[in-house]
This record gives sequence, C-alpha cells and structure tokens, in this order.
Amino acid sequence: MAMHSGLTFVRGLGRHREASVFAMLAAVAIYLSFASDYFLEPRNLLNVGRQASVVAIVALGQALVIIARGIDLSVGSVIGLSAVVAAVLMRDTGSEAIGLTAGLLTGLVCGLVNGVLYTRFRINPFIATLGTLSIARGIALLMTGGIPVPFGGFAEFVGAGRIFDIPVSFLLMIVLAVVVHVFASRTVIGREIYAIGDNPKASRLAGVNLRAIRLFVFAFCGLLAGLGGLILAGNLASADPNLGMGYELDVIAAVILGGTALSGGRGSILGVVIGALLMALLNNAFVLLGISAYWQVVTKGLVIIFAVGLDGLQRGSDDD
Amino acid sequence: MMQSDRMNEAAAPDAAAASAQPLLIRARGIAKGFSGNAVLHSVDLDLHAGEVVGLLGENGAGKSTLMHILSGGLQADTGTIEMEGAPVRFGSVAEGIAAGVSFVHQELSVIGALSVAENLHLGRMAKTAAGLVNFSLMQKASRALLERVGAGHIDPRKEAGALRAGEQQLIEIAKAAARKPRLLILDEPTSSLTPHEVGGFFSYVREARAAGAAIIFITHRLEEAMSLCDRVVVLRNGAIVSERRPAETTRQQLIADMTGKPAIYEHRPRSVNGGEIALSLRGVSDDRLLDGIDLDIRKGEIFGLFGLVGAGRTELLDLIHGVHRHKAGTIKLFGKELSLLDPSQAVRAGIALVPEGRKTAGILPQHSVRDNAAISSLRRFARGVFSDRAGDAGRVERHRQSLGIRMASDTQAISTLSGGNQQKVIFARALMAEPRLLLLDEPTHGVDVGAKSDLYGIVTREADKGLTVIVASSEVPEILALCDRVAILSKGRLAGVLERAEMTEDRILTMAFKEH
Repeated sequence: MAMHSGLTFVRGLGRHREASVFAMLAAVAIYLSFASDYFLEPRNLLNVGRQASVVAIVALGQALVIIARGIDLSVGSVIGLSAVVAAVLMRDTGSEAIGLTAGLLTGLVCGLVNGVLYTRFRINPFIATLGTLSIARGIALLMTGGIPVPFGGFAEFVGAGRIFDIPVSFLLMIVLAVVVHVFASRTVIGREIYAIGDNPKASRLAGVNLRAIRLFVFAFCGLLAGLGGLILAGNLASADPNLGMGYELDVIAAVILGGTALSGGRGSILGVVIGALLMALLNNAFVLLGISAYWQVVTKGLVIIFAVGLDGLQRGSDDD
Repeated sequence: MMQSDRMNEAAAPDAAAASAQPLLIRARGIAKGFSGNAVLHSVDLDLHAGEVVGLLGENGAGKSTLMHILSGGLQADTGTIEMEGAPVRFGSVAEGIAAGVSFVHQELSVIGALSVAENLHLGRMAKTAAGLVNFSLMQKASRALLERVGAGHIDPRKEAGALRAGEQQLIEIAKAAARKPRLLILDEPTSSLTPHEVGGFFSYVREARAAGAAIIFITHRLEEAMSLCDRVVVLRNGAIVSERRPAETTRQQLIADMTGKPAIYEHRPRSVNGGEIALSLRGVSDDRLLDGIDLDIRKGEIFGLFGLVGAGRTELLDLIHGVHRHKAGTIKLFGKELSLLDPSQAVRAGIALVPEGRKTAGILPQHSVRDNAAISSLRRFARGVFSDRAGDAGRVERHRQSLGIRMASDTQAISTLSGGNQQKVIFARALMAEPRLLLLDEPTHGVDVGAKSDLYGIVTREADKGLTVIVASSEVPEILALCDRVAILSKGRLAGVLERAEMTEDRILTMAFKEH
C-alpha cells in the first residue's frame, strides 16, 4: 500500500523530475537514518559523497549526450583505459604531468572516435559505443596483461584526499556540475544541444551545425570519463584494467533518474547530480543493512527499469 | 459568438440537397471544453446518407474536436448524437469504427517497413490453409482497393515507407474504404496529392456517396470544397456560422464566413527597384533530379518557384540552403560564389529557410516560443560563448508585435500554439537571423485563411524593406497573390520564367505539365 501510494506520488511529481528524484533521495535517506545508527555519521555521509562523485562527473557528460539524443555505452571502458594509460605512462616516463595529460587525452580521443563513428560513418551511437566499449576494455587488458598498475601522486589526492574533511573528488564534482550547468543553460552550444535533441532536422535547417554539436558532446563525455578514470584509480592507488566495468549502468541510471528524457531535448544538470547521489545512497544502503552484494546488482537493474519506465509512462500520457 | 452568429440567409439543414435521403447522423447541442476553455459551443449538425459535406474553418475553429467526438476519439461534455434515430455514444475509436464511422486523419500512420498490401490488411491478414500469411490473396484484394480510390498505379508489394506522402495518404484512404464506412471523415486528404490523384480520389468519394455513405470533407482548399460537396458548413470559434450550397455561394463569401472579415489578400502591384542581382544560378544540377537550372533573382524581389509534386522545388531550395551540395554549376549570392557544406554556413552567409513541414522540420516541440524563435540567431547575437538571453526576449517581443503572434507568454511551449501562430514563430526565427535571402517552402501549408493573409502581408512588407524572397509553392493562388515573377519547374528542369503581367493560372499550369 505504501509502495503504491509512493508510486502515485512520484508520478504526480512527474512534471518536475528533479523534485521527484529528490523525494526518492529523501525517502531513502530518512529510512536509512532509522534503520542504521551509522548512516548519519559524517564519515559515512562524506563517503557517500565520494562514491557519488565519479558517477556524477561522468554522468554530466552522458547527460549532454542523451539530451542531444545520443547515448554513450563506452564510458565504463573509457574509465578503465584512461586510468591504465595514465598509470603506465607515469610509470614508464616517471612524469606525473605526462601520465595525467595522457589519461585525459585518452578519454577525449575515445569520445572523438565515438563521435566520428556517429557523425561521419552514420553508425547508430548505441552500436558504435557498444563497439568502443569492447575495444577500449580490450586495449586496457592488452596494455597491462590484466595486471593492475600502481597509481599515485596528485590523482591519489583528488581520488582519496580531503580538504577540511570534505573529499576532494566531491568538491571537484560540485565545481564541474556548476560549470556544466551554466554551460548547458547559458552558452550557445548548450542551447543548441537541447535543440538538436528536440528536433534534429528542424535544428539543422535552422542553422545549427548538427555534426559539430554531436561530435562535441561525445568528445566532452569521453573527456569526463577519462577524468573519472583518473579519480577512481587515484582513490584505489591502482589502475586496474577492469576498472569502471559496469559503470555505464550507474551513469545512465543517474542521468535518467535525474529526469533527462532518453528521447532527447529535455534534462537538467541538477537532476543528474541528485540522480548520482541516489545511486550512491542505494549502494550505501546495502552495505549498512548488510544485504548481499548480489542483491545490489539486481536492485541496480530494477532502478534503471523503474526510471526508464517512469519516463515512458509520462511520455505515453503525452503522446497517445 | 454562438448561435446568434448563424447566418439567417443560410440554408437550414433540412433544406439541404440531400434531404430526400434518410438522416444518418443527428447531432444536437454538442459542447466540449478543455481545462476550462470551451472549444465547441452547442453545435447542431445533420448528416444524410449519400451526402458530401464540406467542413471549413480556420485552425482552432474546433473542426478536429467535432470530428473526434463524432468518431469516438473524444466524448462531448454535453449534447446528443443519434445514428438513424437511435442515440449512440462511442466510448472509443474502435466503437466508432464498429458502428461504421471511419476517420482518416491528416497525420499519416502508414507503417513504413511493411508492404502496401500488409498495411491495407493490418489486423485482418488473410491466411493460407497452413496458417501462413496469404500474400497473393492480399495483393489481389489490395489492387482492387487501390483502384477504387484512384491509386491503381501503386504496386501493393512495394514497401509503404518508400512511397511519396501523397501516395501514403491514398493508402490511408484505401484503409478506410476497406471498412465500407457509413460515415467517412476525411481531414485534409488532398493536401499532398497531385492534381491527377485528386481526380481519382474525387471519383472514389462520389462513388461512396452513390453507395449511400455520408462523407465529411475537411479542407483549406475552397475550390475543392466547392466542386465536390453538396453542402458546405463553416465552423468559427467553436460554433457553426453558416451552412451553404456551393452553387449558391462564392469563395469570397466562404472566406468571410471563416474569418469573420470580408477582406482577403490580393496582389498589390509593387516595383522592384534597382537592378542588383541577389541570387544567381548557372547550370545548377544535383545528381538526382535537378538539371541545369539558370536563374537571376533581383534584390527585394518576391520570386515564386512553382512545380507539381516531384518537380524539384524543395530540392532546389535545399541546394541554395546547403542541405545538399550541388554537383555542377555555380550559385552566387550578391556576386559571391557559394560553396556550402551545411545549412549552418548558409545561415551565416545570410540565407534563412522556412522549411516545408512545420511539425517535422520546423518546430522544436519541447522548446518554448522564445527558444524556437531564437535558435537561428543564437550565434549572431552571442556574447563570447554565452547566448544573449535578455536580448532574445526583446527581439522575440518585437517580432511578436510585428508578425501578430498570438500567445500568452514567450515561455510557453510552441506546441501549445495554433498552427498559424507556430508558423509565424518559424517566420520570426528566420527574420531574427537578419537574412539577405529568405527561402519559403510551402509557407502556408495547413495554415488557415486568416494566418495566410497575415503571412502574405509579412512577406510583402519585408520585401519592400529590401529582403529578397523565394517562395516555393504548389498552390497557384498563392503564387498569384504574392509573387513578382515565377519560375516553373517540371521534372527537375526549368520550364520557364513568367513576368507578373504574363502570370495566369492557366499558363503556369500548362508550363508545369510540360514534358521533357
């Protein structure tokens, strides 16, 4: 009964998706504060923030891709490849700057490849990025022989460090979210991203350079995935070639939960951040409540289906 | 604005031509509102078996709402519908169809990946003894059906998605014809048909009338309504304002009924001063249809581009706008040769387009009016990387006033506006980009008479200010009302250019039918 009324409530808030996902976030948080004594401890809350930050940073790029009516399934593999490239170059050259730059460039190049496959070779982004998902992971495994490479220095500070007790990665995420929010809502390119997601044909005829904007969002998403890889590996002080495996699921779930329409043209950056926090909170809940990690995997899938289902139900009531 | 508005001299329903025929539908006091806004006020309508009734009215007059109520897609708030004397109330479109009411919508719902025959038999495919789909039987039945609606030239084995919009429209009509409806509602069925197809379609309608069906024919083309219908009903602001017989009325009278004002737009003689050539085409070809087009268009001229469906009007505009690249020849804008790779470059060079197909190629449906209007000029008015949002609001407001766009606020979604107002926003979008050359592709397609005359006024005013305009249109009256000169295309070639003094409907059509 409570479940049912909760569902109706969420549907009622459908027009304001940030509000609905925020309500879900609050509901989970309130439940956890009663179910676990440990939940409200600052240490735990900051940990949730840290866990959310990588998903949120990558989701910022993914959100722009999805708003532009694309999708990037390769982000999890790009996280792994960027971390490995950075760690290997850092180890071989001894230069932290070269390693970190190469890591970010790897993300950017992966994104550009996705974008070119889509805009020049007209391959559906779902398929193109499914291909690069496999290729990037394969290259990461080839470079390392499957063995993790130690990783440290500045990336370790960003991934695991704190400023006034607050995780650096969380602060970085907040800064990036503000920047991307302003970018999406105030710049010419940002507004053109929404336009091409709403009606690509009309936007092109109105003078929006469709190919350039599409290429841009994929490149930007790749760059942020590369950054996410550096943070994640820095947090673990190790670049595992399997790093970020399955992350595309969390990232896309965060974007969709945050109210971005898979059909394009609609979505907010604030919603994406809240969506990422919700995903991290769900992970935290399983740890705190001592439920098997396998159930966590099942639940993630359910959350995605729920979020996309919500989107479908709403659009259904609009179109039919 | 309601019953009192009904013209006294208009024929009462009972006096209509088909009154000898039995009454099929008797609707009384039909009213409907959406979230507090009344869309229909107490409409009375009688339909007789064997009668073709034309339904005219501007967009937003309530035509589709009334038709949805008759066909079961919507339920009236008040009022009754009787079918052959017995009260009926259709809860859904399916119930309406079961009772013999078929509604062919303006929007096409053909399934592109299936063959024509499969489309025509959707939901009732014939099976062989082995339980498989009986294609040969379906194709035979489809041929007969297509023949009936004047589309015998369409191969039922062909993939429906490969057909032209007009052919798909005929498939929709054939689908409805297969149900042998007793009331057939056709919403702008002829807007994408060729003149030849219109002829075939008209004979089907007459045949269905002879077989005793009642037909409601919604159109914006008055000539068609006058020639096909037994009775013409005009709806304005949700009420029936006149019912007339075509033989006893005129075009002007019907327009006055629709708009509530007597004046219509007529060509105003204007002189194009200065001999400066704005756009010059020499031997322009694509590798598909267009072949060796030569044109010179002067600054400030309103230049028409006429042709039948498939003549290459849209294709030529696409080349000028950079949607596709020309394969041969040169295009010069004010003496400077253009080699455009993308429409974004065209807009930067000062060429704006109002495309054909408002829904598919014009509006950004989820965006506000302001964002829709501003999208072409974001870069022109950008401050660094940031867009000039405050300036956009001011520019949209100026264009709202000068184009007469009716809206509550520029932050409302464009999809909440009427078709005519949406089209004005698309015009505003093009004008805000401050073009030197404005391309209009079927600029008043599906726009009501009032908005049409507004748009003609806007085009003339901008041209008087020095803007060069190319109007591609399939409607001769539009060319005659608007253009200083007209080029006629036929099968991808230039059949000729007519000066204003030489422009008559007869001559334009003769040239358009010219074979090569």
